[in-house]
Amino acid sequence: MDAKSIIDSLVNKFQDSLTDAKVDSDIRISAYLEPEKIKDVCQYLKDELAFDHLSSETAIDYPKKDEIVVVYHIASYDHPVLLTIKVKLPRDAPEIESIVPVYWNANWYEREIYELFGVKFNNHPDLRQLVLPEELLGDWPLRKDYEGFPNTTARNLV
Amino acid sequence: MDENVGPSEMIVHLGPQHPMQPGPFRLNLRLRGETVVDAEIELGFIHKGIEKILESKTYLQGIPIVDRICYLTAMTNEEAYVGAVEKLADIEVPERSQYIRVILEELSRLQSHLLGMGEFGEFIGFVSMFMYTIKEREDILTLMDMVTGARVTHTFLKYGGVRGDLPEGFREKSATIFAGLKEQIAEYRRLFNGDEIYKQRCFGVGTLEAKTARDLGVSGPALRATGVAFDIRKDEPYLVYKDLDFKVCTATDGDIAARIEVRLDEMLEAMYIIEQCLDQMPSGPLFYEDSLYGVRTPTMRVPEGDVFHRVEDPRGEMGFYVVSDGSDKPHRVKIRGPVYPTMQALPPLIKGTTVADVAAIAGSMDGCTSEADR
Repeated sequence: MDAKSIIDSLVNKFQDSLTDAKVDSDIRISAYLEPEKIKDVCQYLKDELAFDHLSSETAIDYPKKDEIVVVYHIASYDHPVLLTIKVKLPRDAPEIESIVPVYWNANWYEREIYELFGVKFNNHPDLRQLVLPEELLGDWPLRKDYEGFPNTTARNLV
Repeated sequence: MDENVGPSEMIVHLGPQHPMQPGPFRLNLRLRGETVVDAEIELGFIHKGIEKILESKTYLQGIPIVDRICYLTAMTNEEAYVGAVEKLADIEVPERSQYIRVILEELSRLQSHLLGMGEFGEFIGFVSMFMYTIKEREDILTLMDMVTGARVTHTFLKYGGVRGDLPEGFREKSATIFAGLKEQIAEYRRLFNGDEIYKQRCFGVGTLEAKTARDLGVSGPALRATGVAFDIRKDEPYLVYKDLDFKVCTATDGDIAARIEVRLDEMLEAMYIIEQCLDQMPSGPLFYEDSLYGVRTPTMRVPEGDVFHRVEDPRGEMGFYVVSDGSDKPHRVKIRGPVYPTMQALPPLIKGTTVADVAAIAGSMDGCTSEADR
């Protein structure tokens, strides 16, 4: 399976929700996606295109553009193509469907994004903190406007 | 995990100070008799916030920080970060430097596997194994020390090359050490396979099926022990790996013994790669001084964009996702470590086994908590 045929297949299937889909190199593809389609796209990738390996899932904060972008890197154990999917979410109420039902190991990635960026994953089986203490929930430390310890955390220490 | 226990149940907390894994994490087990019926991992005891720190440092200042994600894989972490920035900034690395990087990364794999195996030996009560492997590991560290000037955290790579050439006498010294290590690996095999306790505790215990391993997102030796030949060095070759001859070591059983087997094979393969590198390595510059980023000042700027760069860590797939906004500091760095999925896979793997096997299984997965907790 090569990058070109994969992207053709994806664009055919999800024409309306994919934007800016392009081939970056022989084995790299990237695309922007509408948030509501993420689970369907992942399911399709896994079932039809052998993308069975969620390599990473993360978020980027863009305070100036007032958006948080969730980034998925999906690869395969059988072919070398790696797909980057980006989903733009509004910064004041970021919310997206969880992909844990498709990729089991998304569980910890999504918990981490939730505690560090405040992105809410709908239908996640266990959405709570992973690495930070519970008192820090709501501080979203990886957002760019986080003031840092102890400015926004001191209230918890009293 | 539900904290209510039934009449014949008990909840046991392993850790955070249990010597089962390097670095503290807590493993909560629900036991019925000696059988594990449920398990849960708690992370975060040594969370270092490295991703946030990297965002506040310039690209050059970031290199020593990524070393400290996991001290066993400092070299591959550097390669992943430096490689990502080089891709972003379109910096070319001279061939000689690439060979030196490959040599160091394979040495790093050797020392990591040696320590991992020694620690695993301790978990099954085979304490002398640790003393054997730590001695061999010191020799490998001496080789790395000769080149980089540091034993564990090297900070040896720079954008577009390496800090120095291989020293005088490196080739001879490595030949001597490798000859000894090859004999030792044969000896380790003999010790393991001739040991009745090892046989009973490792064959057919903690078996991971290929299908499950794929679903759990596992990579590295733990995955290859199930027969899936997934290796970033072959899938998406970086540096000069495409010019080198090596095979991806796999095993079929997916149990503890298979994971140890894969690591022993990989050590032989790593030495073979280094020997080839020393033979093939061309002479030439270590660094293109007149390239676009020739004067890589501490405040070097990187063009806007993002890149995801993956390397094959001793533990599996290590990736860095670096986003640049055109300034001298990265806008966002995401570290995708191999230990994260491996540790996540631990609870399903130990469900249904006995409590005595938990340490052996966890040890054979060779997780580094420090890296999961970065």
